[in-house]
Amino acid sequence: MTQVNRHFAFGMEIRSDLVLPELSIRQEEGSIDACVEIKRSDHTQWPELEASPHGTPTVDLAPHEWRLKLEGIGWFRASQGKTVEWERWDDSVSDRDIRTFLVTSALGALAMQRGSLVLHGTAIARDGKAVVLLGRPATGKSTLAWCFHQQGWRVLSSELVVIGADGCVLPGLQQLKLWHDAAVALQLDWAQLPVVRRGLKRYALLPPELAVHQEPAQLQCIYLLNRDQAAPGSDDSSQQPLSCSGPLSQQRALLLVRNHAFHARNYRGMETESQLFLQASALVRSHPVHFLRVPDGVSPMADALADVDLLNPAALQEGVTA
Amino acid sequence: MSNSQDQGYWYLASYPKSGNTWCRVFITELMRLASAEPNDGLNLNRDIETGAIASSRLWLDDQLGINSCDLSFAELDALRGRAGDSAWLFAEGERFHKVHDGFRSPDSRGQPVVSTQGCRGVVYILRHPEDVAVSLSHFFSWSLQHCVDFLLDPKAALVPGEFRGGHQVRQHMGRWDQHVTSWVDQQQLPVLPIRYEDMLANGLETFSLLAEFLNLPSDPQLVEQAIENTTIDRLKKLEDEVDGFAEKPTGCDRFFRSGRTGEGAERLTIEQRKKLSEGLSDAMARFSYEGVSID
Repeated sequence: MTQVNRHFAFGMEIRSDLVLPELSIRQEEGSIDACVEIKRSDHTQWPELEASPHGTPTVDLAPHEWRLKLEGIGWFRASQGKTVEWERWDDSVSDRDIRTFLVTSALGALAMQRGSLVLHGTAIARDGKAVVLLGRPATGKSTLAWCFHQQGWRVLSSELVVIGADGCVLPGLQQLKLWHDAAVALQLDWAQLPVVRRGLKRYALLPPELAVHQEPAQLQCIYLLNRDQAAPGSDDSSQQPLSCSGPLSQQRALLLVRNHAFHARNYRGMETESQLFLQASALVRSHPVHFLRVPDGVSPMADALADVDLLNPAALQEGVTA
Repeated sequence: MSNSQDQGYWYLASYPKSGNTWCRVFITELMRLASAEPNDGLNLNRDIETGAIASSRLWLDDQLGINSCDLSFAELDALRGRAGDSAWLFAEGERFHKVHDGFRSPDSRGQPVVSTQGCRGVVYILRHPEDVAVSLSHFFSWSLQHCVDFLLDPKAALVPGEFRGGHQVRQHMGRWDQHVTSWVDQQQLPVLPIRYEDMLANGLETFSLLAEFLNLPSDPQLVEQAIENTTIDRLKKLEDEVDGFAEKPTGCDRFFRSGRTGEGAERLTIEQRKKLSEGLSDAMARFSYEGVSID
């Protein structure tokens, strides 16, 4: 008989046949509105799909249906906002390989099917208040989050962030992934850290080393990381403190937030793009969005954080133009 | 589905520092001039949106539906050939994708490392390897000897480190001649090889060919005007106007530098030139590139 593991993330109770250390096992009070299932299944038994033209050769999309085929790793399916199914490509694929994509791409798609606003970013919290760090891949969201973690912040969710209609950020994926160079620069004992996947020079920081926030936290503001802001024609950015722009116009903020939806293609392919637009509109009407200029390089980034109060963007507004 | 997707897409492929960006700027300017209401003028950091580079992590994440940082470069190379068939989600721009990868990589399992499905063709831009060496040296702040060795390295790749993330994934190129023949001799896509030297010396003829191949407006007056607006002196001025081209790496003084031919012959030692001639002789001869006498 398959063991069922209970986890909690993104406002869902998740019953999984795989242990998912990236997700909390502690139920947050009053925030669970659904029970979903993660289970192994035979992808050849999945029903035929009339695929959306917005799918890609690896992702098939239809209303309430998301499928991912990763050659050499496995098949994944999220459907009806209720179930995630998975199957290994072959026996050489480890649970860790499966989990890597299960708790990110698959759970993100499931949350979208449930009507959630899912952004690609990292959320951290302090004093029960949250900020969301958005940015393109490899802009340093996780590294910056770890640096703030060292200043007493706690991680709410990384890679994908779910924000409720009440403006609360929900606890989600509670791990930070750091590249080897960042781990070395941050003086972490990388040899003792688990790798994200075998063969990768990328490490997973998990509780208890990672302090996490396990309750929904009210969103204060959104920062869009911008490591290039200071580059052209300016002084050495490594000497610059962390600083942010004034609040962006709602129109610009909406466009940027929309473009930072978690795998935004899924919204279009599952025909929920209007949902994304409405939720992002409501979000930027009630929460300021700022560019956050981050010094280039891990050590300068860490050094720039002294006395920085992310909850007070007005105090950070110096010299970054929106 | 967007028009751009209906119309397919194109690759602008080259070994780095061979004129790819010049082509992209020319295409942008040609389309700007051909539009019903051309805007004020070219802004390098705003307007050069001809399409994502095929190695863009953002692009690959969108196409593959995952965080590509969670895959090794070897795993990615095997998957990348499937990315690119679908239009960039929120892009209304054109689809001329820059590529520096070789057509295949040792990890792509014999398949192209870029998608060929829906691709209408590839413009392959090549430049004398001696001049490429000098340009690489300025761009990456490498010694000339390192650049010569790089051009001859069968494992040469951009972004080869596995210890840090980046906006682009690894791009395997191999030796310069392997790169050239991988694209020019592949049979899956129509290919138009053009030489940087011909773009300089026979601009109207060469850029007209390019425009026709890409189904762009090719009226001679329009092409001539676009060439005039994208000369190296003009590009240097445009780079100054935007206070540094966004595609310039840290440590590189300026992206658009000299643009002229023959710098390799002036700057490389005889030994370095001989090494290139020995290692790359067949491809150099095929494309009428003179080196130094080997014997």
